[in-house]
Amino acid sequence: MAADRHKSHMTNTRMFLTMLFGAVFRRRGRALMAVVASLVGAATLFCLAAVCIEAPRQINQEMRSYGANLVVSPIQGDNRSAGIEQGMVDHTTHMVTAKAPARYATYRYETVQVNAGARVMAGIHPDQVRQLNRHWSVEGSWPRPGSVMVGRDLADSLGLTTGKRMTIGYPASQVTGTGKGGGQGRDFRVGGIVDTGGPEDRIIYADLADLELLTGAKRGTDVIEYSVNTMTSGLKTIAASINDMTSMGVKARPVTRITAGDSHTIAMLQSLFWLVSVVVLVLTFVGVGTTMASIVSQRRSEIGLRKALGASSRGIAMEFLAESACYGLAGGLIGTALGYGFARLLCLSVFQRPLGFNWWLALGTVLLSVAISMIASIRPVLRASRIDPALVLREE
Amino acid sequence: MTQAKASEFQSGGGMLLDLDHVSKIYGDLHALDDLNLSVPQGQWLAVVGSSGSGKTTLMNILGCMDTPSRGSVRLQGRPLEDLSQSQLADVRKNVIGLVFQKFYLVPHLTALENVMVAQYYHSVVDEDQAMKALDRVGLADRARHLPSQLSGGEQQRVCVARALINEPKLILADEPTGNLDEANERIVLDLFRQLHDQGTSLIVVTHDALVASCAQREIMLNHGVLAGEQWNDEEAKRAYLAAGGRPAFSGAPVDSGDQDIPVGFHDPTKTAKTGGSLPGSAIDGKGGR
Repeated sequence: MAADRHKSHMTNTRMFLTMLFGAVFRRRGRALMAVVASLVGAATLFCLAAVCIEAPRQINQEMRSYGANLVVSPIQGDNRSAGIEQGMVDHTTHMVTAKAPARYATYRYETVQVNAGARVMAGIHPDQVRQLNRHWSVEGSWPRPGSVMVGRDLADSLGLTTGKRMTIGYPASQVTGTGKGGGQGRDFRVGGIVDTGGPEDRIIYADLADLELLTGAKRGTDVIEYSVNTMTSGLKTIAASINDMTSMGVKARPVTRITAGDSHTIAMLQSLFWLVSVVVLVLTFVGVGTTMASIVSQRRSEIGLRKALGASSRGIAMEFLAESACYGLAGGLIGTALGYGFARLLCLSVFQRPLGFNWWLALGTVLLSVAISMIASIRPVLRASRIDPALVLREE
Repeated sequence: MTQAKASEFQSGGGMLLDLDHVSKIYGDLHALDDLNLSVPQGQWLAVVGSSGSGKTTLMNILGCMDTPSRGSVRLQGRPLEDLSQSQLADVRKNVIGLVFQKFYLVPHLTALENVMVAQYYHSVVDEDQAMKALDRVGLADRARHLPSQLSGGEQQRVCVARALINEPKLILADEPTGNLDEANERIVLDLFRQLHDQGTSLIVVTHDALVASCAQREIMLNHGVLAGEQWNDEEAKRAYLAAGGRPAFSGAPVDSGDQDIPVGFHDPTKTAKTGGSLPGSAIDGKGGR
């Protein structure tokens, strides 16, 4: 008995789907109009949303290659002499990467003597710094053991060129450790000259191990630079979370010259997105609603007949809502595919990068398309459900 | 028929349909005026009359698609005037099968699916049963065709299959042969005869004398008023009267001035078509009580 009931239920469900199939696929003209109305909306929305989400991401990635956007340094007067210990570097890095993907580089700065003049020398891990500052123009090679990289301005003032040798001394008064090299001058080869157009052009970059040999001491780093893959608001959150932990003895600050640019571009894109989205939604709404009204008007006799056969108003409403949902679904799927195509072309032409397919965005677009189709159909569907069954006889 | 049974019929309890002083009024227009009519289970009744005589209004009321302005309608002893739209829809799908002049098939569904639509709204879809109904009207081989691929006669036969699929107590047919050629008209009338023989009640609105003459009983409407009643089957008439059935009548006076005389009532065409051998040709009533 239960099996029979189940079988019957399935048969009625199949009949519902058959009627739906007939209405959608055997009445191609009107169905096509409704699908096109949904399709245009879905395509435009997906394209705009994809570009608005992807463009800031692409811009962000581009900007990340121009250096750090978050700088962490010791709190003045606290760890200045000892710097930030490796354990704290790891801890800070963990806090940053917990919020967003990030690359980082550490810098230990010392004042050294070159030709009796005081210069700043940075001890670095060359690979870290190179990854972080892809825009640095380096003539020659990055620092290696026994070989330094000199900033362009300093090289010019000292008459240094690639391949030359230079002696770098470390004043004995600054020696804090007991290493072998402390207080002695060391001979380095100029492996490369770096040109950034910024303050880096007055610094000598050496492998950290060389700096430790020169100073005869190991200590923590003075600055950690992060390139975090996030927007301004994300950076502020990360910086705040680090600054709140005063016990860490470090402070963090976003580098605003990059993030301000992000914000402006994103704000402009988002405003444009919302404006166009609202217009597109309204147009889709009107388009689908008008088409459904036309479908209902064309099928008045059929609706009257269904009611004469015993269909309830609710049943008629359900059938037409399901039909409009089908149009929304078909339009949403095709529109999303087309929208992705347009967005991909746009990204290729502007960013010279292909656009990845965002499944969540696609799902959202299709669902929105279905929802808009159904909402836009409510008025015509209500009108349909109120059609008088006597209509079929009156029109004889 | 026993006395008790007769009194049950008299009270309307045994009648399939019982119209008591039914009127339908639109402004000043009395589309139906004070009509009294009883139809027992299994009777074949023809309603004749010219355009505007109130036939369609009567069909709408009998088919639970409209309600009277005055008077009451009882279907299977149940008054219809107090029912909601949803309850009327239930009555339509459970008790009544409808056949229309313009066929009215759902254009994007096949013949078989059109029959199953009636099952769908009634209770449970059963493709085998729907196929049997189509087979019964001689259209099993056209089951998968869309209405646009069927001739007018075939479409009307699909309508008949749809009307009978739920085994209704009453089939209401509005000009069922109005758009058919003679061959198809004969097929449809044969189907009606079969249904009638099986005990189904039929109420057929028609202009066609031949179609009307197939019925056991004919009533004629004119300007919303009963203009006459005629029995084509004396045996049925006797049984009806014995069961307590009363002749149809209108409380309103008949406007006999410039009325069109409907075919079937003293119409030479009808005599020619039927060979003048119709049983019972007297007009039994003319609107008077």
